[in-house]
Amino acid sequence: MQTIAIASTLLRKVLPTCTFLALLFGSSPASAALGGDASSIGTGQTHLLASARIERAATHSMHELHAATGTKVREYLGNDGKVFAVAWEGPFRPDLRQLLGAHYETYLQAAKGRVARGPVNIELPGLVVHMSGHQRAFYGRAYLVDRVPQGLSTDEIR
Amino acid sequence: MRAPRTRRAGAGCACAVLVGVACGSSSTGLSPNAIALPADNVAEVSVDYGLAGIGYINGLFANVTVCVPGSTSECQTIDNVLVDTGSSGLVLLGSVLTLSLPALTDNKGAALAECSQLISGALWGPLRSADFSIANEKVSNLVVHVSEKATYPMPTSCTGTDLSDPNDLGANGILGVGTSLQDCGPPCSAAVGHGSENPGIYYACSSAATDGCQPTAVSLAQQVSNPVAFFSLDNNGTIIELPAIPEEGAPSVLGSLVFGIGTRANNGLEPATVIRVDLNGMFSTKYPTNGSASSAFIDSGSNAIYFLNSGTTHIPTCSSGLYPWISAFYCPTSTQNLTARILDYTGQGGLNVSFSVANALNLSEYNFAFDNLAGPGSAPTSGTAFPSSYFDWGLPFFFGRNVFTSIEGEATTGHAGPFVAF
Repeated sequence: MQTIAIASTLLRKVLPTCTFLALLFGSSPASAALGGDASSIGTGQTHLLASARIERAATHSMHELHAATGTKVREYLGNDGKVFAVAWEGPFRPDLRQLLGAHYETYLQAAKGRVARGPVNIELPGLVVHMSGHQRAFYGRAYLVDRVPQGLSTDEIR
Repeated sequence: MRAPRTRRAGAGCACAVLVGVACGSSSTGLSPNAIALPADNVAEVSVDYGLAGIGYINGLFANVTVCVPGSTSECQTIDNVLVDTGSSGLVLLGSVLTLSLPALTDNKGAALAECSQLISGALWGPLRSADFSIANEKVSNLVVHVSEKATYPMPTSCTGTDLSDPNDLGANGILGVGTSLQDCGPPCSAAVGHGSENPGIYYACSSAATDGCQPTAVSLAQQVSNPVAFFSLDNNGTIIELPAIPEEGAPSVLGSLVFGIGTRANNGLEPATVIRVDLNGMFSTKYPTNGSASSAFIDSGSNAIYFLNSGTTHIPTCSSGLYPWISAFYCPTSTQNLTARILDYTGQGGLNVSFSVANALNLSEYNFAFDNLAGPGSAPTSGTAFPSSYFDWGLPFFFGRNVFTSIEGEATTGHAGPFVAF
């Protein structure tokens, strides 16, 4: 997997599309939602600002976004341009409604009635949501089971 | 204010509290830890069934008292408040609060509210002011987060499972006594808006209409804060002291929540080992002891030791059609006695810690305190990407140990906070 470095000047030179330039310089900083496509960028997170890193593999690409709050979000896009996984880490949890998109309600339903005692491990036939940490230190990931590209271990989604 | 000390006592363990010697055999091989006797700076805590109908496994509970500011008669003692070293500040569920506490407002008169982030969900509701006491420690005009949706509807931007019902939280509130002074800190005092470091978890409410509450900046003084930091003398941290318990568990366990570190004869730091933590309470843990490091924390609000996953521990998770939630725990064929290495946040120092992982399906249904309950964390550890998985030293870690939590910025003889020690 090739890593493209952090500097925005470098990003400006190597990025093949303007999608993430919008993230860097646009007026609607945002991220795509799980299951959405790149065009859902622009409707997302208030706090996500800079695309810090992009990794490309044969089956997918990973876009890492940094918020001014210190929280980092990673989005995994398949070659069809759809977001099949998201992961986050940092002192504040990102807006899950925006990050999980159409799957947010599914997550809420599955989490309902769970008593709050430790990490969240929701494993539905189509959707997996994992969260752990504590106040000021959050980690989580969610992926669409059927959309994870063949050959990519779900352990790589984080 | 205090409930009778025997109220929750299992017959077998009352001796531990009274004579300061742990009863039952320690599965970790530690020598018995001394449990502080009742005192002005010592609150009784218990690990037991909890709220009626809940049957909380490994919940550490205390009673707290809140009063209308300035009043000594308009007071309410609330039981089954979860003692949580993983957070800071007092949250009470509005459904159990019978007092009418004054609202906190911003300089324009708008009521302040918060969307408090917990790992498993969110607590939404207004900020109110109360005189707070526990044992004989008091704070005037403490900012209390009251979780309820009746005054202001939960904003769409407050996401995560709503835990404001006692049946969902499993407790009447949370007493956050972590390493942080505030639940948020300086980021929440920064101006909100595009590109701000402010996460927008505090809100100013101009009306009870949908989205009548909007993210706002709040000063540190108006943030929900660790009440211990405001005590007059014992304000630099806490000790949680729970006796060792038998490997089959116990129906209820009594212990002490001691306020102050090195401030009195009953709360000296020696001979505990100090582990320095970062400003978010994190240090490092290696399992196995020569393995790769995980970011770690000690959390009395987590009911098990959650670490790695089946792929890395080679311990299967539980599976039961009758109890689907049991998959949150490990189910080894026989109890595993393991050793991990705890290091400070810079990777220095450190000591080995033994712990046990029992088969969660074999644990007695009549017991509610277990020192050998463990489960997988949420993240894999292989590879190079962020983050390595968290190693969550939950309540089982506390049995048979006196666990110190020092608050950031507070001085303790010979050590600067924040740190944990045990």
